[in-house]
Amino acid sequence: MSAADVMLVGLGGGLGSVLRWWIGRLVGERYKGHFPLGTFLINISGSLVIGYLSVLFNVDWDNRHGHGMVLNALVITGVLGGYTTFSSMQLDAARLAAGQHARLAAFYLLLSVAAGLLAALAGAALAGVQD
Amino acid sequence: MKLSFAILLVFVGGATGAIARELLMLFVPTLSHGFPLDILVANVIASLLIGFSTARHNRKVTNDGWHLMVTTGIAGGLSTFSSFTYATSVLMKASMTGALVAAAYVLISLVMGYVAVIIGMKIGGMREERSPHS
Repeated sequence: MSAADVMLVGLGGGLGSVLRWWIGRLVGERYKGHFPLGTFLINISGSLVIGYLSVLFNVDWDNRHGHGMVLNALVITGVLGGYTTFSSMQLDAARLAAGQHARLAAFYLLLSVAAGLLAALAGAALAGVQD
Repeated sequence: MKLSFAILLVFVGGATGAIARELLMLFVPTLSHGFPLDILVANVIASLLIGFSTARHNRKVTNDGWHLMVTTGIAGGLSTFSSFTYATSVLMKASMTGALVAAAYVLISLVMGYVAVIIGMKIGGMREERSPHS
């Protein structure tokens, strides 16, 4: 990994984080329920895209120094890593549990993982179909 | 807070968090059977940080700008959900052992991440010892 890769990850992470913040605001203005819909939609869409692009970029998960290193640093580690968030999901769940919505918190965590996993598989399958 | 300033704070925080995650991926080894320890470490540290920062903001120790940069920016950029789900899907498809490792990875991530937020909130909610100079 070079200094240029670090810059690309930073640039992508910054852009992805701003996009996450922006979409979170838009969803928050329209949906007022307890379910953390903004973070949920962000994480599932990010999972779909990472599945698709990882196959497309031919990213070998064990050898990150091969083909597609630049796109991997900028888009996958940077943009998608910055766009999706694990910490906000856990904070949302802890807040729900503290506000007497423990069942919704558990449902939210399990649904996020199940839907995120299916989205990643679907994204990879979509990219495979196009080859 | 001006919108352009808020965007700048989220960008700078997100870039910092993502670079920290990239460095973790370089220095934290992937465990045997492909267990993604690097992403787990990034996600747990970010969960600790978001709980800590939120509790401090609730106590009005930190202002809105600082809170936005640290939680939405740094913690959000450091943690990742997409690499978490993608690594799980790759493990699941690999083999029977891979599927078991994937299940353990998901369970450990969820439990440790949640506990980290709670611990972060507890630490962030504590009052500081009064400094002898004040």
